[in-house]
Amino acid sequence: MQFAIAVFSAPEQASNRRALRFAEAVLAEGHAISRLFFYQAGVHSASSQQVTAQDELDLPRAWHEFVTQHQLDAVVCIAAALRRGQLNQAEAERYNRDGYSVQTPWELSGLGQLHDAAQSADRLICFGGP
Amino acid sequence: MSKSLLLVSRHAPCSGSTPRELLDIALAGGAFDLPISLLFLDDGVFQLFTPNFAALEQKNLSANLQALPMFGVEQLYVAERCLRDRGLDSTKAQPAVQCLDDAAISALYASHDLVITL
Amino acid sequence: MKTLHLLSHSPFTDQRLTSCLHVIGANDGLLLTGDAVLALQPGSLQRKALELMPAGVQLFALEEDLIARHLQDCLPERVNSVDYPRFVALSLQADKVNSWL
Repeated sequence: MQFAIAVFSAPEQASNRRALRFAEAVLAEGHAISRLFFYQAGVHSASSQQVTAQDELDLPRAWHEFVTQHQLDAVVCIAAALRRGQLNQAEAERYNRDGYSVQTPWELSGLGQLHDAAQSADRLICFGGP
Repeated sequence: MSKSLLLVSRHAPCSGSTPRELLDIALAGGAFDLPISLLFLDDGVFQLFTPNFAALEQKNLSANLQALPMFGVEQLYVAERCLRDRGLDSTKAQPAVQCLDDAAISALYASHDLVITL
Repeated sequence: MKTLHLLSHSPFTDQRLTSCLHVIGANDGLLLTGDAVLALQPGSLQRKALELMPAGVQLFALEEDLIARHLQDCLPERVNSVDYPRFVALSLQADKVNSWL
């Protein structure tokens, strides 16, 4: 079965880790993930600039490894990301900002990608809140 | 055949970006001609009573609400119980919405293919 | 199961569980995750409310959250503890998942 998984919470919320563990279980159970979509504070999952204490779970890194290892389609909502300061190189240049924090494998794109994923997958599941 | 999507808006209008970010999902889906319904539940019902956003230097969310029919989002509902609990009068809601009791809301969940509650 | 409702807020500080119990369908399911499992605290009104739900409503709680809060050994009979593989299966068993974000 194909899953579309949407993440609405930042890495410091327990629900962000829950989304990752669920996504891992989806693949381990023999299903597929057609797209991961990051919205609202979920966009911080894609940040390469978050520094996590050494003895804590580094969720942005864990997401990055998960997405890379399984070559997943991982879309970060561009409007939500701009609003929260998570830019890729192209957006940093467009808006004349000094740095950027979103790189491959993450893609910045619009909310149409959430609808597209929800329409085509067998199941949409959203994670957010605490 | 597109899957129908029920969006449930539960947040009061003036304290953060969540109501706007839910409406953005509605407007984006409407632009793709997807069948979308919107239900105002819990504190989300306050969005229907023209808040004074200017008092807090916020963009007017009511304009986005009024734009919904132009984007093909015409199925607007509100939870009757939540209005009653908050002393609100459904006839004064802007834009006009259909009042649903709890059983009708259960049926609404059951009749849509997808739900996003924010 | 028609809709699987997914909760993660504490029922002691948040209205989501109350609101969910008002609108949950007779053949829906409810999965408690995160602080939402605190609804199973023995002696709480929330636990009583859950125990009184119509029999058609299936109740689940995420195992790791129960363990973290020392609630795994005092579950009401009708509440099933689920791990992540079972969580995935539940989401497929339901027609749709409604996360109360």
